[in-house]
Amino acid sequence: MERMIAVDKLARPEDHILLRSDRLRNARAEQGLTPNSPMPYEDDFLKSRMHGICAGEFQAMEAAGRTLYDFPDAPWEFQLDMARQVWDESRHAEIYMKLLEYVGSYYGEFPEGEVLWSCTQAEDPAARVAGINRGLEGLACDVFEQLIRLAQNMGDEVIERAVDYVLADEITHVRMGSKWMRKLTEGDPERLKRAQAFQDSIDDIFNFGNGRTFVENAEHVKQRVGDKEFEIDRSITIAREARLLAGFTEEEIDRLVKGFRKSAAY
Amino acid sequence: MADLGFRENVMGPQPIGKFVEEPPELRQTADRLIEALMRGDMEAAKAMTDPQAYEDLQALAAAIAPEHYDTIEYIGRARVAKHFFLKVLLPGTPPVKFQFRLGQNAAGEWTMREANDLTGRRSAWSR
Repeated sequence: MERMIAVDKLARPEDHILLRSDRLRNARAEQGLTPNSPMPYEDDFLKSRMHGICAGEFQAMEAAGRTLYDFPDAPWEFQLDMARQVWDESRHAEIYMKLLEYVGSYYGEFPEGEVLWSCTQAEDPAARVAGINRGLEGLACDVFEQLIRLAQNMGDEVIERAVDYVLADEITHVRMGSKWMRKLTEGDPERLKRAQAFQDSIDDIFNFGNGRTFVENAEHVKQRVGDKEFEIDRSITIAREARLLAGFTEEEIDRLVKGFRKSAAY
Repeated sequence: MADLGFRENVMGPQPIGKFVEEPPELRQTADRLIEALMRGDMEAAKAMTDPQAYEDLQALAAAIAPEHYDTIEYIGRARVAKHFFLKVLLPGTPPVKFQFRLGQNAAGEWTMREANDLTGRRSAWSR
């Protein structure tokens, strides 16, 4: 069975612009922007950040569905968790489509990249949940916690509550990932090591080259949305509390921070 | 854009941001560029292309038989900050599909920065 399907097999509406990551980075760099990700000081920050998340929710939905399909011999409870995740992610995609409209955007206003899908490419279900549920969904905890604080600064309850609902699910997804990574690798430390290495490779991709730190150490910049101006973290912070709730250990969180610091970007 | 209902009839919170409109000169430049390619007029097309995209332009020109197409269908648009991507279909036999990026240069002129022939491919994600 073909388990690692190519990104271009994902169906998308014909009117969407799909881009390989290198072209996306070029388009940003040519305009004097940081290549990898929209940053808080950009005019479009909120729109493009939410757009990236929305596309991520679609790809996460597809990834969980694919995991369910790819491993028919996995324990029934594993399959149930993956099915539940598909349902959660589809609801998140809808929530973010509505949030996009709320901030004056729409799904498809920006190109969709393929980098998240590349993080799902593992043959082993233990590695797949380590990468997707712990790596990507762990990152989602960081990004969503930051969006919630941003909404609180703006006094915007719509964004605050909508993202908080989604974050609650993501925390559950990380917990599912931790549970299955350990359960599927019981008695096989080498397999566990490989799954963790796959997750580490994904964490490395998302250091964003800009010094990720904890909330309390973050530098701030001014951000404008409509006629309001408020303060926001300069880069994506690490949501220690949300990650602890999600089942990451203190040691794992510290390892994450050290990993970001020793990355080539520093 | 997804159909999320008629907001005018909705009592809930209204949008807090405005949609970014497409600059009118963007589509005019795109029309001129594609028409030049359809005529096989490389000089004119090159004049609207940034040097970094000459190779992409050559590839596009090779895919579009001169004097063979007469209709331009814009089927997609997206932007990255102030640069716009347009996805285009030239119906005919064979149909040609491509997407390209336009950005303004220092003189304020819109030029093509890159192009990607999508004919016969599932998507621009294909390698």
